[in-house]
Order: sequence, then C-alpha cells, then structure tokens
Amino acid sequence: MTDKEKIALLEDMLELDGGSLRPETVLADLDEYDSMAKLSLIVLMDDEFGKKLTGEQIREFKSVQNILDFMD
Amino acid sequence: MKVIDFTGKTIIVAGAGGIGSSIAAKLNALGGKIILMDICDDAMNHTLSKLNGENYAYHCDFSDVNGIETIINSIIKLHGAIDGFVYCVGIGAVRPLKQSKYGFMQNVMNINFFSFVEIVRCLSLKGHFSPNGMNIVGISALGAFLGNSTKTAYCASKGAMNAAVRCLAKELAPKCIRVNTVAPGVTDTPMAKAAEEYGAGSKEHDAILERQYLGICDPSDVTDAVVFLLSDMSKKITGCCLPVDGGKLSS
Repeated sequence: MTDKEKIALLEDMLELDGGSLRPETVLADLDEYDSMAKLSLIVLMDDEFGKKLTGEQIREFKSVQNILDFMD
Repeated sequence: MKVIDFTGKTIIVAGAGGIGSSIAAKLNALGGKIILMDICDDAMNHTLSKLNGENYAYHCDFSDVNGIETIINSIIKLHGAIDGFVYCVGIGAVRPLKQSKYGFMQNVMNINFFSFVEIVRCLSLKGHFSPNGMNIVGISALGAFLGNSTKTAYCASKGAMNAAVRCLAKELAPKCIRVNTVAPGVTDTPMAKAAEEYGAGSKEHDAILERQYLGICDPSDVTDAVVFLLSDMSKKITGCCLPVDGGKLSS
C-alpha cells in the first residue's frame, strides 16, 4: 500500500476531506484525533494491517508519518 | 453436611478462561463432574489441571453455530444426561460504530448469543438432561442495561441473552429446567484487562469505576452467584438476571 493510500484510509477514518492530511501533520493539532479516533485506529490497524496497536504505542505517535511508519 | 453439593452431577462449563475457570473449579470442589468447552485448548488444559476426579474437555468454535449440535451430541453419548450448564463464552468487542459492519456484528452475536441458545436447544431435548431437571446459567453483562459507547455489538448480545432467557425459562419450566443469567459489573479477568488497554485513563473508564462503589468484582464473586443459581437453594428462581456488579446498577 502506498503512503497516499494509507493517508486516504486515515482521512476516511477521521471523516476528513481528501487532501486534509500530510505526513508532517501534527496529530495534536487535529480536533478530530480524539479518544474515539484512537480506538478507531486500533481497529483499523487490526483489520487492514493485521497489527496489534497498544495504548502505549498510540501515545508515542506525534505525526501522521509516525502512523504511516507503523503501518509498514 | 454441605449446603450445596453437586456430587453425582454432570455440569457443562462453556468458556474455560477467566470467570469460566473459576466456576469450573468451584463446581468441581463441590463434587461436580465438569465438562469444559472452549476454542482455546491451553485454557481448558490449565483449568482441567485445577480439577479433581474425571473431567473432560471439548474443543468448540462458538463462532460456528452449526457445529454445536454434533459436539453436544457426542458429549451426551459419552457422559449421559446433563444436570447443569453454564455459558461463560464471550468476546468483549470494543469498536466504534463506523467500523461495526454486519460481519463483525454477526460474529459477536454468534459467539455471545446464538451459540448459547443453540446449546440450550440441544441440551433440552428429551434424554439429554437429567430426569430430575437441569439448571442453566448464562453469563450476561451489566452492559445489557447500560449505554456503553463503542460496545453496541457486545451490549446487544448480552441484552439478547437476557431477553431470550426469560422466554426459555417459561418454555422449559414443564421439563423442570431453570434458566437464569448473572450480569457481572467490571470484573478482574483477562477480557476486562484487554478492554482496559483501550480505555484506561479515559473519563468513561474512570466513571465506571466510580459507579461500582463496592469495588471491582473478582471472578469468585460471580462464581458464587452461579453456584447459587445452579443449586436447589434457588429452586423458585427462573428467568431472572442477577447483577453481580458492586452496586453499579443502583448508582
């Protein structure tokens, strides 16, 4: 999956318009990145990438790029 | 003399981890012969190692409802009529609604609800339960009564169990079969720990703990209620849901 496709998945998950997110986007600056979004991210990682994401790992995510890196 | 004695009774415990393990150990300590059912062989072997006498384990995938009948029939064939059945199987699925598609919802319902009803159906056929009757307890959840964000599938499955049990109790009463549920509040189990991982530190999680004012339940607290409902001490109780919730429902 390309970074563009991964970003599209995140935009869909956060119900953001296409093109809203960039790799350098800081998660703390996004109103949509709330506790429900973090839970959605756990489910997304499990469903789409077969990866278990822990609360600890989520807390380490600072930017969209960090999430993209985890998806690999 | 023991007040509650399951000597000579054969009891099926579906779900061998967490609460199921505690229930199996207690029923066995009170004299019961235990037949475990679970998808996880390690959990069954671990629970079996805590039991005395001859007890048995049957591998069962509770997401495959159509496969249940064959397993129950083979249990009956080998062990004879059943005196008690406890259903402690459940997945504590936490998932936002937008990701709760039909396939996910159906899987939760299959495991938490449909397989329970299917086992009750198979066990309540003539000759499959003891001539003295049979007592059935399903482990529901307090979530059946509450609105829990992100737990639509789980709470619906437990609410379905409570509703079904009221009907089953009435329909099976002429066969001397009693059917009840126990609804635990937050209990110290592996499933609860997995859920905590998602919600630890959240306002909702803290609020739950504040409402459960007698404190977090231990599996043994739930077990005591199940033992009571399986025993003749509760012989006039059927179709009910007994909360073991540290007071949460009242707060």
